Amino acid sequence: MVHDLAFCGDGEELLPPGHRVGEWTVTGPIGEGGWATVYAARRAEGTAGSDGADGVDDTIALKVLPTAGLAPRQARQVAEAAHREAELARTAPHPRLVRLLDTLTLAAPDRPALDGSIVLVMERARCTLRDLLATGVDEARGARIIAGICEGLAHLHRSGWVHTDLKPENVLIGRDGEVRLSDFGLAIELTGTHGHCAPMGTPDYLPPERWKAPLGEHGVKIRTTADIWALGIVIHEVFAAGVPPFPGATPTARNAAAQQYAEGRAALRLAPAVPPFWRALAADCLAPTHAARAPHTAESLLARIRAHQSGRRPRRPRPRTALLALAACATAAVTATALWPRPDPAAHPARIRVFNAERGCQDRTDRDPRCSLGLAVDPLRPYTAENVIPTRVWNNDTLDADCQLPTGLPVINEEDLTSTVWYRIHLPGPTTAWLPAVRTKDRPTLLRCP
Amino acid sequence: MSGILVHLPEGNGEDAVTLRLGPGERARFGRGSAGTPVELRLGDETVSRLAGEIHATDDHWQLSNLSSTHAYLVENPEGAGEYLRVPPRRIGAPIPFEFSRVVLPSRRETPLSFQVFAPDHVYLDPHARGAGSWESRTMTAYSLDETATYFLVLVALCEPWLRDRSPAAVPTTPQVVARLRGHPACARLTARAVSSHLDYLADEKLRIDMPGDAGRADRRNGKREAVVGIALKFGIVREEHLALLPRPEAAEPGR
Repeated sequence: MVHDLAFCGDGEELLPPGHRVGEWTVTGPIGEGGWATVYAARRAEGTAGSDGADGVDDTIALKVLPTAGLAPRQARQVAEAAHREAELARTAPHPRLVRLLDTLTLAAPDRPALDGSIVLVMERARCTLRDLLATGVDEARGARIIAGICEGLAHLHRSGWVHTDLKPENVLIGRDGEVRLSDFGLAIELTGTHGHCAPMGTPDYLPPERWKAPLGEHGVKIRTTADIWALGIVIHEVFAAGVPPFPGATPTARNAAAQQYAEGRAALRLAPAVPPFWRALAADCLAPTHAARAPHTAESLLARIRAHQSGRRPRRPRPRTALLALAACATAAVTATALWPRPDPAAHPARIRVFNAERGCQDRTDRDPRCSLGLAVDPLRPYTAENVIPTRVWNNDTLDADCQLPTGLPVINEEDLTSTVWYRIHLPGPTTAWLPAVRTKDRPTLLRCP
Repeated sequence: MSGILVHLPEGNGEDAVTLRLGPGERARFGRGSAGTPVELRLGDETVSRLAGEIHATDDHWQLSNLSSTHAYLVENPEGAGEYLRVPPRRIGAPIPFEFSRVVLPSRRETPLSFQVFAPDHVYLDPHARGAGSWESRTMTAYSLDETATYFLVLVALCEPWLRDRSPAAVPTTPQVVARLRGHPACARLTARAVSSHLDYLADEKLRIDMPGDAGRADRRNGKREAVVGIALKFGIVREEHLALLPRPEAAEPGR
């Protein structure tokens, strides 16, 4: 909610440089947001640690939330927002969340508009992700940022909170270059699978179901998948130089486009500039419904990013890039071969071995649900949670495939391999289901499915 | 962005029709025939078989006039005579009103018309601060036009709480009509209009979640209470809005 600023005060009263707030001295304003103004400040002289002898960096950020002049209900809302931030920082601290050092009440009797404001004392960040996007982010840096956001979200969700206002303005880059999620004024604590939040948000980052969500006495129902949608938008912005995934000149136009996509009247068209791995990740985050997004938890996305990074880095030395490209071509050739079955395909079923491209899952035998893979009901419909049978499969399981469909919907795996080939699988009983060809390394010769 | 609502009142032997169009969706209107299907049938000989098209886009809608001879008028019923003329063969004229009455020429005494509602219009929050781009600002996801009649109705419903009278019940529809009578825009406000404003607020603007099992009368009362509760709780109506209402003395003589 805090904006970068070339800031003229806008008639609002500001704390002047040198103003003392508790142990801190204001050095100047940094940004201004919905309810708050953020100032840079440093430890005042004469207080403990002000000499800098202990090596602790003594500059911090003060988020000042004025309550004077507000109607009682609004003042209560501001106090609640501040309380939520403090509560979250107290109960669920994490290296990827901005650190809250203290909360104070501002005493400024000579400035009635600010007297009594709530002040949150926070660690000082270098800039916001929005600032960084303006200067350009390369793929390696972008990968580190998205991984950082996923770590923060995974922690929040595990601790039972939803951020509800994730956007590049609220992703700070700390002085160590790492991500700090910030602005938890709208964060809500879940009871069970969902919580309720005030009908607020930033239009470009709200999931499509929010535009139709009914408003109850406690607010709008919200689940962790709302943050995952916002993450999908942020991933796209990071790898497409700040351009949002949905077309349109204004947030309203982009919302309308997102709505058309969610209702199945338009396809998702992500920018070609987004590298394939990140495009697949963004597409999963931007699955059109809560149910389709639900399997893509922050945790599972983080596991995919880690697998991608660990798989990539050793193979990344420059002289071998050509080889890697060749390897990718070779796989494409295999896929292409499968597209045109050989003249004399075997009419009998073949056994195929399931392959999970996520490295962390390949050596496990404990059948952890997070390492399970789904079999589709219909290979011509998107490979999402709604289109998957209850039976799950794991790496190295063997399955009976009886025919192949060369022209199903394309599936991209965690190693960026794409294929439109699907194998029809026979399960115990009369059940059949479909395994995408990218989920096995076997290439059996099978008849084309009728 | 839930789209727009098109409402053709009953008349000329035809039933009332209400269509909801999501962003990007279209509806054709005209006399229609077996070969020219239309979503909105206007049974009048002066109207072409395919007279025009409505296209929901962004937070507004566009009107295409497919007639080669007649201009159509789009009136803003709340705009004190504000209207737009869409000339023949004009394609995709953007319509800026939240409430519109599309008027087609007819030989009948009453002109042929239908209504279009565009509840998705977005407004900045009144106390939004910040020098950054408004596009990335956190805002209330339900924007109300504070100059619209529905907003006056809402303020009148919330007034007893805003004045801290510890009321026992939400004002009734006749009480709202009486309370707003002194307002220049509401001199001819009827009880029926207040009820439709309330429905519009509850169903289209705030999208209030109502339990499905209540009876019809209970539902209306429940809706009224839910609208007031939510408007106050989320600060949609605040003390400062009382200034929009006519002075209480004028509405309540004898006090």
